[in-house]
Amino acid sequence: MSQSTNILEVDHVWKAYCRQLKRSMWYGVKDLGLQLSGRAGDRDPQHLRPGEFHAIRDAHFSMKQGECVAMIGPNGAGKSTMLKMINGLIKPDSGSITIRGRIGALIELGTGFNPILSGRENIYINGAVLGMQKSEVDRLFDQIVDFSELEHVIDSPVKTYSTGMKVRLGYSIAANLRPTLLLMDEVLAVGDVGFRMKCFAHLRKLVDEGVSIIIVTHAVAMLSRVATRSIVFGQGRIIHDGDLETGTIIYEEELSARATAHQAAATGNESSATIARIENVQTCNEEGELQTEFETGETVALQIELGCDQPVNRARLVVALCSPVHGELGSVSTPHQQFEFQLDPSGQTITLTLPDFPLMLGSYHFDISLYGPETTDFYHRNCGRGSFRIVGPELDPNGYGLFGALKLEHHWKSDR
Amino acid sequence: MSNADSIQPDNADLDQVTHYSSESEIRNPLKLLADIVGDAMRGRELAWRLFLRNIRGMYRQTLLGLFWAFLPPIANTAIWIFLRSQNVFDSGDTSVHPTLFILTGMILWQAFIDAFQMPLQVVSSNRNMISKLHFPRESLLMVGVGEVLFNLAIRMLLLIPAFLYFQVAPGSMSLLFPLAAIGLILVGLSMGLLIMPLGSLYQDVSRFITMALPFWMIITPIIYAPLKSWPASMLNWINPPASLLILSRDLLLGAPLEHVWPGIAFGVAALLLFIPALFVYRVSMPVLIERMSA
Repeated sequence: MSQSTNILEVDHVWKAYCRQLKRSMWYGVKDLGLQLSGRAGDRDPQHLRPGEFHAIRDAHFSMKQGECVAMIGPNGAGKSTMLKMINGLIKPDSGSITIRGRIGALIELGTGFNPILSGRENIYINGAVLGMQKSEVDRLFDQIVDFSELEHVIDSPVKTYSTGMKVRLGYSIAANLRPTLLLMDEVLAVGDVGFRMKCFAHLRKLVDEGVSIIIVTHAVAMLSRVATRSIVFGQGRIIHDGDLETGTIIYEEELSARATAHQAAATGNESSATIARIENVQTCNEEGELQTEFETGETVALQIELGCDQPVNRARLVVALCSPVHGELGSVSTPHQQFEFQLDPSGQTITLTLPDFPLMLGSYHFDISLYGPETTDFYHRNCGRGSFRIVGPELDPNGYGLFGALKLEHHWKSDR
Repeated sequence: MSNADSIQPDNADLDQVTHYSSESEIRNPLKLLADIVGDAMRGRELAWRLFLRNIRGMYRQTLLGLFWAFLPPIANTAIWIFLRSQNVFDSGDTSVHPTLFILTGMILWQAFIDAFQMPLQVVSSNRNMISKLHFPRESLLMVGVGEVLFNLAIRMLLLIPAFLYFQVAPGSMSLLFPLAAIGLILVGLSMGLLIMPLGSLYQDVSRFITMALPFWMIITPIIYAPLKSWPASMLNWINPPASLLILSRDLLLGAPLEHVWPGIAFGVAALLLFIPALFVYRVSMPVLIERMSA
């Protein structure tokens, strides 16, 4: 099997959607008319009908056999739409998709399960839905039950199963597909950790055997267990196609930008009174040189430039360190260390130093609030500022190095 | 998983090339027909599994079980027989006892309506599966047709005691009954396939059907003998299921055959319409899925 064979080619694909229900239905009638009269063809990709937006803009990429690609991006970025087009469920408005070999899809595990019927009966039904013959299911039946670890309840109705049990059964059936290209959409977000690890090990084995996999997920931390390449979507465009580490950081930055925009829209990001404000925020190294990329364990310093219209004594700053994936990770304040400062109209810079930075690969930012001396003296909140990346050291998901979000100081000891 | 059954893509699979673009499949009708036939063949196993699933699931959580299949025609017939006994309407000159006449008509009408509503129903009830999984869509139609035929067969069992009670013996012409009944179902199926895309987009269609069904039933000669005087007799010509329903019932009851040619004409028309109707079902699916999931 040649690893250089392109099994998927996505050629300048565009897709538009309409969010307004009635308009969308009317466009549906028009599109039906075009399809049924044979007049459907490439739409001018730039042309949008009223109420439409581009769910996919000029997506262009290919995949080789045995590649595992993580398709990541914030909600509504277009990744699921892309997956649906690759799976042949919907058509592109413009451009084309070519696939060599059989496609298998794990889109929603257990789709087609009848809750009244037993797990045993549903294995045969779901197997058929996924394209397996009865003889194939007969042969693989014991393996499916064994993999799902549901021997004890296999003859009970599926409606008595928990969500995790249904996912286990669904994955175990689908895991026996023999596709060239396997599409997975958020199917491993549920289920217990042990079973998830088992699934990742199984996916790893599939990749080693030459199966190409596209995984759509938000659980980016898990991806490094199986994916080697990432395609990041942002507002329908591919904004990164390359290594997973960079893709993960870009994804986190995209999330961060969204959160900031959302928060700015919700809270105004501006001072409620104009007495004092946060003018500028930037990260730098120990020497005070501007820097946005660091390694775990280095010193990250944050310079906060403040401005005010009149002098303020005993002002206070609260700085929260945030991750787009994990949310607020920790918060520090000037009063906590009895650090007092005065605001002066000529302006000043406060520096917060975080030595031996403990967080690992990822993108981070700060939410900063400026207060006066009294509890009620709120001046200004500035969210999503001072964005920076931790770019090293590399993580090892296989258990031979560091992994996760936090670098733990640690020592090993043996009594022998 | 054991290595004996390791999951490895076949090299032969790589010869299978799938191409998706915005172009309509209808531009190449022969290829489209071949794809439909191919998918129908591939979807046989799935259709059978889903058929068994639906039949098993249908009555498993009921106390009366299969009795629910018999109930609608019994209840409908009972109401109309009661109304007739109160002289609310006149069945006219029926070839057999009015009870048997109405019961047979009801069973055939129910089969037609089941077939007519089936395409819209299968798409609506399998929305989740259709919008998430790529599988031969034709299998859903096969399941639907299977259920229509299964329910017809179950209801036909009701006719055995009725034939014995009213001492009606089917004649040799009754052997042609299945052909006419299949024609009747085909008329319903083709019409149902054609309205399915619009019905899936706009609920107005299913609401209109629910509202129109009682009127449609009244203008179809189910509870009364076919009208012979002009212009009422024209209803048998413009109402698609009427001729085949009359023909099917006459064949089954051994009555004089009066609607042979109109019945054949509608049967042939349904057959000719069936392939374009299948094209409509197939080609409209991606457009509908977009609206199901958008």
